[in-house]
Amino acid sequence: MGKDQIIKFRIQRYNPDVDDKPTFVTFKVPYTDRQGVLDALHYIFRNIDSSLAYRWNCRTGQCGSCAININGVPGLACRTVVNPSQDYILEPLPNFPVIRDLVVDLGPGFNRLEKIRPYLERTSAPERPEKLTREEISSAMELRACIECFSCYAACPAVASAKQEYPGPIAMRELASFEFDPRDQGDRVQLAVSSGLYDCTSCGNCKEVCIPKHIDTRRTAVEGLRALAVEREMGPLEGHQGFIDQIEETGYAVDVKTTPLTDQLPEVVEVSNPVDKVLFYPGCLINLRIQNVGINVVEVLKRNNVQVHIPKDFVCCTSVAFRTGARTIAHDMVVRNTEYFQKLGVTKVVSLCPGCMSTIKQDWPVVLHEENKPPYDFEPFDINEYLIGQLGLEGFNQKDLKPLPIRVVYHDPCHLNRHQGISEEPRKLLQMIPGIEFIDVEDSDRCCGAGGGVRAGRRELSQDIAGIKFEILSEVKPDVIATSCSFCFIQLIDEVKKANSDIKIMNVTDLLAASYRGESIK
Amino acid sequence: MTFEVIDTDVLVVGAGGAGCRAAIAASDSNQEVTIITKDILGKAHTVMAEGGINAALANLDPDDICEIHARDTCRAGAYLNNQNLAEILANEAPPRIFDLENFGAIFSRTPDGLIMQRPFGHQTYRRTCYAGDRTGHEVLATLTDELRRRQIEIVDEVFATSLLRSRNQISGVTVIEIRTGRFQVFRAPAVIMAAGGAGRIYDVTTNAQADVGSGYAMAYKVGVELIDMEQFQFHPTGAAIPPAARGRLVTEGVRGEGGILLNKDGERFMKRYNPRLLELAGRDEVARSIATEIREGRGTENEAVFLDVSFLPAKIIEERLPTMLEDFLDIGVDIRNEPMEVTPTAHHVMGGLKIDTSAETNLSGLYSAGEVAGGVHGGNRLGGNALAAGQVFGKIAGDSAAKFAEKNSIPSIDRESISKEYSRVMAPLERDEGLSPSDETQRLQRYMWDKAGLFRNEEDLNSALNLIKDQQKQVKSKLAVKNKATRYNTEWISALELQDLILVAEMIVRSALLRKESRGAHYRTDYPNPDNKQWFVNIVTSKKKENMVLTRTPIVITKWAPPWMEK
Repeated sequence: MGKDQIIKFRIQRYNPDVDDKPTFVTFKVPYTDRQGVLDALHYIFRNIDSSLAYRWNCRTGQCGSCAININGVPGLACRTVVNPSQDYILEPLPNFPVIRDLVVDLGPGFNRLEKIRPYLERTSAPERPEKLTREEISSAMELRACIECFSCYAACPAVASAKQEYPGPIAMRELASFEFDPRDQGDRVQLAVSSGLYDCTSCGNCKEVCIPKHIDTRRTAVEGLRALAVEREMGPLEGHQGFIDQIEETGYAVDVKTTPLTDQLPEVVEVSNPVDKVLFYPGCLINLRIQNVGINVVEVLKRNNVQVHIPKDFVCCTSVAFRTGARTIAHDMVVRNTEYFQKLGVTKVVSLCPGCMSTIKQDWPVVLHEENKPPYDFEPFDINEYLIGQLGLEGFNQKDLKPLPIRVVYHDPCHLNRHQGISEEPRKLLQMIPGIEFIDVEDSDRCCGAGGGVRAGRRELSQDIAGIKFEILSEVKPDVIATSCSFCFIQLIDEVKKANSDIKIMNVTDLLAASYRGESIK
Repeated sequence: MTFEVIDTDVLVVGAGGAGCRAAIAASDSNQEVTIITKDILGKAHTVMAEGGINAALANLDPDDICEIHARDTCRAGAYLNNQNLAEILANEAPPRIFDLENFGAIFSRTPDGLIMQRPFGHQTYRRTCYAGDRTGHEVLATLTDELRRRQIEIVDEVFATSLLRSRNQISGVTVIEIRTGRFQVFRAPAVIMAAGGAGRIYDVTTNAQADVGSGYAMAYKVGVELIDMEQFQFHPTGAAIPPAARGRLVTEGVRGEGGILLNKDGERFMKRYNPRLLELAGRDEVARSIATEIREGRGTENEAVFLDVSFLPAKIIEERLPTMLEDFLDIGVDIRNEPMEVTPTAHHVMGGLKIDTSAETNLSGLYSAGEVAGGVHGGNRLGGNALAAGQVFGKIAGDSAAKFAEKNSIPSIDRESISKEYSRVMAPLERDEGLSPSDETQRLQRYMWDKAGLFRNEEDLNSALNLIKDQQKQVKSKLAVKNKATRYNTEWISALELQDLILVAEMIVRSALLRKESRGAHYRTDYPNPDNKQWFVNIVTSKKKENMVLTRTPIVITKWAPPWMEK
C-alpha cells in the first residue's frame, strides 16, 4: 500500500425531483489508516461534492442511521472499515423508496412494524418493585438490543417480494421479544402468524447483516415463534402438515412412489483400495424423487476411491419440522437416525442436501441434549466440504475429469452458504472441471425462496422469490445453473419450466459425475 | 414566501429521552401533542448513553435514599446546582424508572430479581440502574414504543430553525422539512424545548452529529435566559481513531475494571497527578492530566495516550467489556493484547435553558428538559444523572405544558418574524460564491477545542471570541451553499447549524471569560483556584436588545451549604 493510495467509490446518485433514473458516479478518495466507509463519505462531502446525500448520526454503531448497501450487502457505513485492496459500490438500502442518493424513506418499514403492536401489552400495572429473574428476561433482552437500522429488512427476500406485506425480520424479532417477555399478555404468536411468520424462507441473511447486534432472528425469533404456533395449534400451514403427517406415517417427508434409492444400491458400495469410508445420507428428496442426484454423488465418491455405506433404514432429518415449528415429531426421528448410524459404525456422514446437513449439524445436537442422550459420535460433512476438505485438493481425482465446454453460473444455497459457511468449496470443484467457463454473479447468495417451508406453504411468494433469482442467474446466459441443494434444485427446475428456458439446473456433483463419465451436457 | 402552518396544542422539539418522555406526559391530558425531531425516531443521542440511570431504589444498598442522591449530585456539581432541581431529580427518579418498566423497559436484575444497580463515580451508594451496556438505547427504544402505542404525532427529519414569540409568549417554531426542503411553521400555545446538547462545538466529542446546540441558540434568540454556559464536561477517555469516530466514548468501566493510562514513553503518568486515586480520580482531573501529557509532547502520534487493559485475563475483558472489545476489534485493535489510544472528549453541557421547578423558562409557554435545560447538574454531572434528568424533567415539562395549553389558545403568529426567518434560512442557498459551511464549522470546532476547552485563559478565550465575532459577520454575508437542490440538502442544514454553533460558542466563551476562577468543569489556568467570595454565583446569559448580556445570580440552596459556608 503506497502512501497516496486511492480508493474508488462508485456511488448511486438520484434526486427524484430532477433525475429520470439513478446513475452512478465514481469518487476517488485517498486512503487513510483505519478509514471507515463513513469517513470516505465525509471526505467526498467536504472535498469533492457537497450535494452527496447520506444519513448518519452517532458514528459508533449505536443509532443505525447510516445503513446503506456496501458492495451489495446492507451494513452500517460507520462500522465498515475500508479494505484498501478493493473498490466500493455504495447504494441506498434496497426495499425502500429513495429520497435522495443514499438516503431512503424508512416509512414503509416503520409502517409495517407499527402494525404488529410494537409495545408491551399487559392489562394492569404490577406492584413495584416487580421481580423478574435473570433467566426469564434473558431471551427478551437479547432481542431488545435491535437498533432499527433496517439492514435485515433490506436484506430479506420475503420483504422484497411484492406478493406479501411481510413486515420483515425486524418485526418478527420485535414480536418474539414480547412473546418471550414474561410480562407481556398480548397474543403475539397469533399476531405473528397473521403477519407472515411463515413467509420467512430461513435464508439467514438477517443474521448475517446484523453486524450491529448479531441477532439471530431466523433461529431465535422466527423458529421460536413457529414452535409456539404449532404448540398452540396455529401452525404449521396446511402445506406443511402433509409432510409432517407423512413423516409420522412412513419416516419420510414425501410419499413412496418408486423403489427408494437406498434399496436400489448395495449396503456397501465397494471400491478397490478405499482411501476412506463414509455413510451417504441421501435425505427424502434424493431417496424418493431426484434419485439420479444421489447416484451421481455415489459416482463421484467412487471415482475418488471412497467406500460408500448406504443407510437402508434411515428416516427423515426432519428439517421441515424444525423449520416450521413441529418439533415433537423431530425428536423421535433424530433419536432413531443417530442410534441407527451408530449401529452402522461409520464415523463420517456425508450429504448433498444442505437442508438435511445443516439440521444434522445444528439441530440434532440440541435434540439429543434435550433427550439426555450422548452427542452423536460421527462427523457430519456436506459433500463439497468432504470432497475438498477431507480428500484435499491433491487427493481429489482431477485426472479423470473430462472436458465440459459449458458456461456455468453458481447459485449458493442459503443452507449451505450461510448456515454452514460453505461457499468456496463448490466453486473450487466446479472450476476443476476442464472446459467449464465459470461465472459468478454478485447476487449468487440471494435466496431462491424454497426454504423455511415457504415452497410448501406459501407457493405464490416462493415462486415470486424464485423468479427474481432465476432472472438474475439467467441474465448471464449460462448453459447450466449449478447449485448443491435438492430444494434449490427442484425450485429452479420449476422456474426453467415456467420460463420455457433451455438452461439446465445441475448440482455440483451432477456436473462432476458427467465429467467423469465423459457425458455431454448441451 | 409560501409556507404551511401546522397547529397543535403541545409541540415537543426533540425526540431524545426527555422529548419522548415529555410527549408521553403531555398526551395524558386531552391535548393534541406533536413531537418533531431532526433525526429519525429512535436515533437520538440518548441511544449512546451506555452506563446507566440513577435512582435511589436501594436494591443493593438499603441505606440509600433520595436525599443522599440529591446531596451527591450537588457535591459533584461543585454546589452550582439549583438545589430545588437536584432534589426533584433525586425524588422523582425512582417513579420514573418504574414508568419505564411500565412502558416495557427491561433493566438488568439482581439475583433476587430486582433492578440491578452499579457503583458510579462520586456516588455514596450503588445507585445506577442499567440494561447491560446499552441503557440509553433501552430507555429510548422503550419510549419510542410507548409513543407508537399512544399514536402520538411524530414528524421526523425536520430541522427547527427558530422559536416564534408573540409578545410575551411562545407561539411556535419554524422548521425545514429536510426531505423536501420545505419551510413550515408549527403553531402551539405550549412548546417544550428538548433538543439536546452541543458537543459538536468541539472538534473532539462523544456526541452524535445532531448535537449542535440549536436548542440553546433558538431559545437565546427569543430572550430566554440560559444558566452556567461555561460549565462543559469533558470525558477523559474518547477513542482517538478512526478519524470519523474521534472522541467516541470509551466507557469509564474500562478504568473501573483496572485499566491504566500510559504516555508514549510507557509511563503511568497518573502517579504524578494523583498518586492516591490514580486513574480513578475525578473525570475533570483525569481529563486535564491526559490533556497535559498530550500538550507537553508525551502523547502518541494520534494525539492520544494509551489506555491499557491487556494485562487483564482475556476472559474478564470478554465478559465485562464486550462492547469495547468489539468496537476496537472493528478498527483492528485487540484490547486483549494491545492498548487503546484515548483522548479527552467533549461530553456534556451542564448549562442550558434556565428552568423553574415546573420546567418552565422565563418565556411563558416555553418549557425545557434534558441536556438543553440547565441548573440540575451544576458544575459537573454525575454519570447516570443525564438519563435520569431527561425522564424526570421530561415528565414535568410535559405535564406543565399540557396544563398551560389547556388554558391558553394558539397565539396569533407574527408574520414579520416568520418572513425574517425565511430570509435568513434561504440566504446561504441564494449565494453562489462564498465560505463553505464545512470549512467554517471545522475552523470553529478546532478553535474552541484549543482555546475554550479543558484549559482556558484570558488570552485564549479572547482569541476565541474574536474568531466568533469574525465568523458571525462573515456568515451573515458570505456563507454559501453550493448544492442548490433543496431535497435532503445536508450542506444547507449544516450552514444553518453552523450559525447555531457559533452562537452557543459565544455563550460558552463569554461565560468562561467572565468567571475568573476555576470551579466545576470550568478550569482557568490563569485563575486555577476557586474564588468563593466573588464567584459562588450562577452566570445567566440572555439577549437584551441585540446584545449578549451576562449577569450573576445567587445560587438556589435548600439543604446543602458548601463546606466553606458551613460554621
